[in-house]
Amino acid sequence: MDRETIAKVAKVARLALTDEEMERYAQDLDAILNSFAVLDEAPASDTYALNPVPVVDVLREDEPAQEIDPQLLRGQMGTYEDYVRGPRLS
Amino acid sequence: MSAPSTYALIQYAQRRHLAFTETVDGLDEGRFHFSAKDNLCALGFQARAGSAVLEGYRPPFDATPIHRLKAAGGQLVGKTTMDEFGFGSFSTNSAHGVPLNPFDPDRSCGGSSGGAGAAACLIPGHIALGVSTGGSISGPASFCGVVGLTPTYGRVSRYGLIDYGNSLDKVGLLSRSAASIAQHFGTIAGPDPKDPTSCAQPPLAGKGRMPSSLALPREAMENLDPAVRKAFQGALPVLRGMGVAVEEVSMPSLRFALPAYYVLATSEASTNLARYCGMRFGRREEEFNQHFNDFFTGVRSEGFGDEAKRRILLGTFCRMVGFRSRYYLKSLAVRQMLIGEYRRVFQEHDAVLTPTMPFLPPRFEDIRRMTPLEMYLADFLTIPPNLVGMPHVSVPCGYVDGLPVGMQVVADHWKEMDLLELAKGWEGAFLYTFPEVRP
Repeated sequence: MDRETIAKVAKVARLALTDEEMERYAQDLDAILNSFAVLDEAPASDTYALNPVPVVDVLREDEPAQEIDPQLLRGQMGTYEDYVRGPRLS
Repeated sequence: MSAPSTYALIQYAQRRHLAFTETVDGLDEGRFHFSAKDNLCALGFQARAGSAVLEGYRPPFDATPIHRLKAAGGQLVGKTTMDEFGFGSFSTNSAHGVPLNPFDPDRSCGGSSGGAGAAACLIPGHIALGVSTGGSISGPASFCGVVGLTPTYGRVSRYGLIDYGNSLDKVGLLSRSAASIAQHFGTIAGPDPKDPTSCAQPPLAGKGRMPSSLALPREAMENLDPAVRKAFQGALPVLRGMGVAVEEVSMPSLRFALPAYYVLATSEASTNLARYCGMRFGRREEEFNQHFNDFFTGVRSEGFGDEAKRRILLGTFCRMVGFRSRYYLKSLAVRQMLIGEYRRVFQEHDAVLTPTMPFLPPRFEDIRRMTPLEMYLADFLTIPPNLVGMPHVSVPCGYVDGLPVGMQVVADHWKEMDLLELAKGWEGAFLYTFPEVRP
């Protein structure tokens, strides 16, 4: 994996890598992805599911309920005067 | 000399073997005692999942398995150490202490539920909630010489679990005996509307049917430490003495399991971990005058450990345009193919038998010399049943130089109670050994 690719992947993943990390992860991923090449030998198939067992939809009436005190959640998020604080968008 | 108290053993397990990240200050003797891996949310404790990025996070609710054990009369006595978000096979990728093996503190407990394995070994009667994505219950059970049950995917609610891979994560139990696990498994199993993946399960059998025929894939006997191979082979006559037939079979698709697992697990992890950006959970960034890209990137780069970054990068790459079909979709297809291969074996046999880990608990100095790929390959025996979501149990089956060796039995979906019948029967035929503890 070349440096340009690992830099692109890191940007998408919102990770800032040092030069040493960039080099090391590129080598690691290269070795790991080379070992994954065995997947190319697996027979092609259109049969797949997202889970290993069948999953059903669980529906319920849309009724107001409050299981957790909103103040606790606000505390976890460090809100200010009931606003969630966040970084600049531009 | 009288036996040490349970509380003294918990303190010993925390102080000397770093099995716990946090414990309670005292025990309620009227209740049974259990612990939870630190990626399960619980009132009164931090839930950090072994990661610095979750430092200080205190969930305002109990995960369903914890809620159910408490309702059944249990006391949660502590949170157990683990690899960051479950990313590891030796519990060495942890921001909150690396647990030390009860049989030899210079060696690993296995991972990622390493603290759970140590607690289950060091504290008689203790029930440890573990979580497995690719072998994180079987591996520590093997290295710590205890019983580890990984249920069918969807059997136990994941509500309150800090996700690693949504299509792979399973909550299970570790303890010194299968009888203890059987006693509590029914409590944590069962549908939970808060986790739709748990709602399609058939009822748990009241009593399992003892498997009488086990298939031993010859592919699982390759690349083993000779000492592990010998100990495992020594267990086969004991099984046959119990009336359990063991027959060699071939499962050629097993070779696709490891890469398919790592593609799916890291792809899912890389999206799950997107939520850790310094606003909602744990570590918070206060420099709000930054652009959101810099803000998120700064928190994540400082908060995630080395292996977490590696898996995020790998998963992000596997999902990128141009590679999705080759890696992600192909791996989903491989999973279905492997389910079919297990089912073909189950037409002739009740379960599949293998060693649990390919080598003895490794020394930390040897782990430090391993490459990431070598570490991934260590899981080649525990990954197949985890990938296909089938229940499996690991039990001690031998000892080499005082270190435990485990064997793993895999059954078809939903047949956990059959595995527990076999494990209970095994305990009548094979004597387990535990280290002497002097708190």
